Parts: sequence; structure tokens; C-alpha cells
Amino acid sequence: MNVLADKILKITIEYIGPAAERFLERQAERHLNGLKFSDIERKDLPELAKWVKISAGLLVDNSRASELAEKILKA
Amino acid sequence: MKKIIYSLQTKLIASFILLIVVIAGGTFFYTFNETKKALKETMRDELKTVASAVATQINGDSLSILKMGDESKNSFRIIRDQLLTIRSSNPDIKFVYTMRNENGKVSFIVDADFGNKDDAAKPGDPYEKTNPRLLEGFYKSSADDDFTIDQWGSVLSGYAPIKDIRGNNVALVGIDMESSRVIEKQNFIGNTIYLIIGISILIAAAIIGIFSLTIIRDIKKLNQNATEISKGNTNVTVEVNRKDEIGELAESFSRMVASLKFMMMDQDKI
Repeated sequence: MNVLADKILKITIEYIGPAAERFLERQAERHLNGLKFSDIERKDLPELAKWVKISAGLLVDNSRASELAEKILKA
Repeated sequence: MKKIIYSLQTKLIASFILLIVVIAGGTFFYTFNETKKALKETMRDELKTVASAVATQINGDSLSILKMGDESKNSFRIIRDQLLTIRSSNPDIKFVYTMRNENGKVSFIVDADFGNKDDAAKPGDPYEKTNPRLLEGFYKSSADDDFTIDQWGSVLSGYAPIKDIRGNNVALVGIDMESSRVIEKQNFIGNTIYLIIGISILIAAAIIGIFSLTIIRDIKKLNQNATEISKGNTNVTVEVNRKDEIGELAESFSRMVASLKFMMMDQDKI
């Protein structure tokens, strides 16, 4: 896992808990053209943040989902 | 009913009320007792001062020779009228009288009420209910330690020795102050303290009730979320936003719920 991926994972754990890694892997695989999350790059962040906001909104309340997306974007 | 008894809110409120009652009750009893003592001491000091002042005005030589049957004598009337004037000058004074001590037997000489009240003491009437403070009054100014209840009522008494021209102690003057005023003051203070404690308990209970309500409300929300998820309903959101320990608990809970929801959700949905 690269440094950026590790940073994003730590941020996401604070919101999603232990399932954060699996969650991020699925977002990257499904919405970033099969990209492996561990290989994520800074150019991928806007798209990742968008899908995290949508998907996380099904797990936590919308304000927290938006907050998580903001933090990922600024990672 | 059982739920109310065992609820956290009930326990919190009951605990704090108990604590306030214990602290306030202790403070009340100490303060009330000390105030009672202080009031009584003030009254004792006042009585000693008044008795001493009165004693200096009475002719000890004339008084010392009065005996049973001397009620019609001029010297008796003069002293009686003096005592009556003193008694009338202060509405708090109930009785003024003089006594002698002959070989340990205490008897009245002149009572201010003689001739005006049927139950007034006559010269030579024995006084049976002596106490150390009264006996002390034949030598120095003193006052009873506590209220005296006898056939003449409930009073606090002060005494001072009456001297003859040679400076010998020949009798004492006794001043009895009506006790109801002192008791009234004590009761007033006691009732005021009760009132303050009562109001304090109500205010404290209200504050604690409101405070605990906010805590219990959020704990109930978390409890409800946990109950729903435990029954398989993952469609829950944790809506507790606080900055204290309960807020931290809510955040941890939110993370667990999110992970659980993710695991349980249809793979195609997310």
C-alpha cells in the first residue's frame, strides 16, 4: 500500500470502522476502472471522494459522509 | 413502573438529592444548634447585665430585714414599686423579684407583682426549684443555662447579688425573661433554613433532571440503534452529536454500525 492509500485508509477508518479497507477497495475497483486501491494516486482523489460520499452516505449520516469525502480530497 | 425505578435518570436524580439532603441536613443542624446557642448566650448576657444594674438600685439594708408579715411596711412597698417600675420598663421582662438564702433554704423577699396578682410570691415563700446558677446569683451575676418551667411560666432567668452598705451580699434580684420570644426567634431561623434547604433541593433536582435528561436521551438513541441492528435492521443512523465521553462512544458506535452495515449489505448496492 502506498503512502497516499495508507493516509486515506486511516481517515476512512475513523468513519467506517474496521470495514474501511474493504470499502475503499470496492470503491476503487468499481468506480475507478478496476484500479487497485493500494495503487491510488492524487489524480484519482476527486473521483474517489465523489463515490465515497455517495456510498458512505448509505452507512453513516450524510453530513459525516460529506465530511469524510472532504478529508479524502484534502489528503 | 419498574422501568422508572431502575432507570439511570432516576438513580442519578435520587443520588444527587440524597447527597444534597445529607450535606444540607448536616449544615442545617450544625448551624441551627450554633444559632440557638448564640441566641441563648446573648439573652443570658443581657439578663446578667440587667440584673446587675437593677441590684445596684435596691437598698440592701432595707431589704435584708424584711420578713414574713412585713408586706404593709413602707420599706417593702418602696422596694416593690421599684421592682414594678423596672419590670414595666421592658416588655420582655416577665418577673422581677428578690430572694434570700438562709442556710441553703431559698425564699422570696419582695416580688414586683405582690398586691397586683394573686399568684405573686409573699415574703418568706420558699422557692424549691433552685439550681446552681440561681445559688451563684447570691455571689455574682449569673443566668440560667436553660429555660425554667415552673408554676409561673416558662422563662430564662438572670440573677445578681444585692449588697448592703458594708458591701455584704444580703440577697439577690432575679429577672425572668419570657422565653417565647427567644423560641420564636429560634423557630424563625429554623424555618428559614428549612425553606432555603427545600428550595435548594428543588432547584438542584431540576438542574440534575435536565442534565441527566440530555445524557439519557442520547444513551436511549444508541440503545435503540443497537436494538434495531441486533434484530437485523441495518437501516439506522447514529444521530448523537456531543463533545463529551458519550459523544466519543457514539462515534465508536457509528464506526461499528457502518462496518456492520457494509458487511451485511447487498454487494451490488455499495
